[in-house]
Amino acid sequence: MRLLALVLGLATTAHAQSGDWTIPAKDYAATRYSSLAQITPTNVKSLHPVWTFSTGVLGGHEGQPLVVKHTMYVVTPYPNVLYAFDLTQDGYPLKWKYRPAVDQNAVGLSCCDVVNRGASYADGKIVYNLLDGHTVAIDAATGRELWKTPIADLTRGETVTMAPFVVKNRVIVGASGGEFGILGSIKALDLASGHLVWTATNLGPDSSMHIGANFKSLYDTGSNLGVTTWPTDAWKHGGGPVWGWLSYDSTLDLVYYGSGNPGPYNPEQRAGDNKWTASVMARRPSDGSLAWAYQFTPHDSWDYDATAEMVLVDLTIAGKPRKALVHFDKNGFAYTLDRATGELLVAEPYVDVNWATKIDLATGRPVLNATKATGASRGNVRDICPTLEGGKSPASPVSYSPQTKLFYTATNNMCMDYEAAQSTYLAGTPFLGANTPYHAGRGGNLGFFISLDPTTGHKVWQIPERYPVWSGSLATRGNVVFYGTLDGWFKAVDATTGRALWKFKVGSGVVGSPITYTGPDGKQYVAIYAGIGGDWFLLSGDYRSDDPADVRDPADFARDLARYTSQGGIVWIFAL
Amino acid sequence: MDLRALILAFAVVGCNSKPVRLVRGRKEGVPPTIRPSARIFAGGIAPPAGALGNPLPENAKTAAEGAKLFTSMNCDGCHGGGAVGFVGPSLTARRWRYGGSDGEIFTSIYYGRSHGMPAFGGALPPEMIWKIVTYIKSLPPPTDLPTESWQEVGGDR
Repeated sequence: MRLLALVLGLATTAHAQSGDWTIPAKDYAATRYSSLAQITPTNVKSLHPVWTFSTGVLGGHEGQPLVVKHTMYVVTPYPNVLYAFDLTQDGYPLKWKYRPAVDQNAVGLSCCDVVNRGASYADGKIVYNLLDGHTVAIDAATGRELWKTPIADLTRGETVTMAPFVVKNRVIVGASGGEFGILGSIKALDLASGHLVWTATNLGPDSSMHIGANFKSLYDTGSNLGVTTWPTDAWKHGGGPVWGWLSYDSTLDLVYYGSGNPGPYNPEQRAGDNKWTASVMARRPSDGSLAWAYQFTPHDSWDYDATAEMVLVDLTIAGKPRKALVHFDKNGFAYTLDRATGELLVAEPYVDVNWATKIDLATGRPVLNATKATGASRGNVRDICPTLEGGKSPASPVSYSPQTKLFYTATNNMCMDYEAAQSTYLAGTPFLGANTPYHAGRGGNLGFFISLDPTTGHKVWQIPERYPVWSGSLATRGNVVFYGTLDGWFKAVDATTGRALWKFKVGSGVVGSPITYTGPDGKQYVAIYAGIGGDWFLLSGDYRSDDPADVRDPADFARDLARYTSQGGIVWIFAL
Repeated sequence: MDLRALILAFAVVGCNSKPVRLVRGRKEGVPPTIRPSARIFAGGIAPPAGALGNPLPENAKTAAEGAKLFTSMNCDGCHGGGAVGFVGPSLTARRWRYGGSDGEIFTSIYYGRSHGMPAFGGALPPEMIWKIVTYIKSLPPPTDLPTESWQEVGGDR
């Protein structure tokens, strides 16, 4: 076994240099915490850009670059170009670029912009997904394509935006399409050959979900719940996609991920819990068997995907040490579970929530506010908090510092009206049935950047932001936390106090996630993508700034965002 | 309902060009397509083609039926409620990538477009598509699109 030294609860790849950033979340525990400490609250004010690069692509630049052995790897949104920059040379010239053929029909099957959430490095390969439903492995040294495997079917509305997760010679991937009525699933490919090893669905019969005798659910009983909690055959178009981040505990040998929303958005077309959409799944990477699952939002009626990261940290809760899993759900609650068993330990709102009054820790179920139930027969249900953008977006991963023992995350301060309508399943077209305009939440500002104590679920500090905050965050041993804003500021704050330390205007709104690494000169660098997009390209003025045919009235909230930003991808690198 | 017959019927009715001889063994006659008026014509000469016109009465009743289809057949999933644009382009802006005549809009829906507009011609009968066309053409255009100014509001909410 080549991988996996478990140090302080953080798994790292043994062949990566400690100052490298080789997988999307830095470590298998998905903490986005770096032990680098040259940049501190005292000196961060002298941070300045040392290099920029235009990707030439307008789509939302979610995800993050990788740095492996003094090479930086950047994956663009569609058309999914992969760049390899030589960090040892002046001006960081390209070593190579890989420009795959990508079916442009995928553009119209992307619910929420043609984003890509990045690559993973493993065994000399850069592995990433193409929007049109392929996983590719590229030789990290030469840029040569080693294998290319189809993993999704465009004709059924499946596209791929997530970053592959590599563990134990398994490349784990899944498809987006919760807005197109796909049958959500997760697949494992062999790292060496690209061959499909297993496919497990997130809904449907136990056999296709890889639920066997060892499956345990603390809050649900019965077999074939992925069928019986739906009207006849509705699970076949029931969504539950995989488009977020994964994590892995090497001791328990479990991979964790969340499933997306059920389809369609009109919940009256799918009476029942709709298992296992909007759930956390714990699977064995070797064969995909499901060890346990827990559904955050049964019969989700608000598009509350559970695809946000499951961060694996060891905590002391009520005096008891716990191998915990912490998850900030779109539904507005931050959950702490026991990651061995799926036992619910803490569930507290981290933003304003009104669709449920609380999560009942005994039953594991939300206590619903009946006035916020949606459906075609209920007309326009007003003022539901949070919106379907989530209390935070799964596209904006949290970070965790083992020093402060705090989580750091972007949040949205918005509520929505939800007018559901009957929807028709037509393969390859949206399967939605809801109109859901947003408005600002309490206080009028549209977002915050917050810190939170996972043992209590309580906020420690918060920074109001004018717009929804849609970037990932980065925590460092230097006690500096980084994040970006939609109006194009890249910011550094004190990890303990939240005090603003530094900011720089990066040319476009930030929806990517910062990383930090050690350069060939031994210095600490910080990198971030600028490039507004994801759901927020809709607010940046023109939908496609390169298409004069595509203009529209500004959104009826945040209408001045277009004054501060426009589309266009830029890679930024900063140093002291 | 055979759509080809329908298209040919309208093509013939609306044709104001001489029939063209098509090469490679295809039949001589009016091609079942519309005049691509949104394009640049080589030499300034338009290719001969029939016109495709909306067979339905373009009134509020047809538009209202089209509005219902726009939602129930999932158009709003990409183009947004009211067709004001979502991940797909706005259809109210009076600016068209692929042409804004009734026939051109029909063709975009029927055959799809390569940047991701699905072809609905197999799933929906032509009459439904014409209703959607009527709805789209009935939408009020937005105001003052070319210039967006923040002068009056000073950038503050």
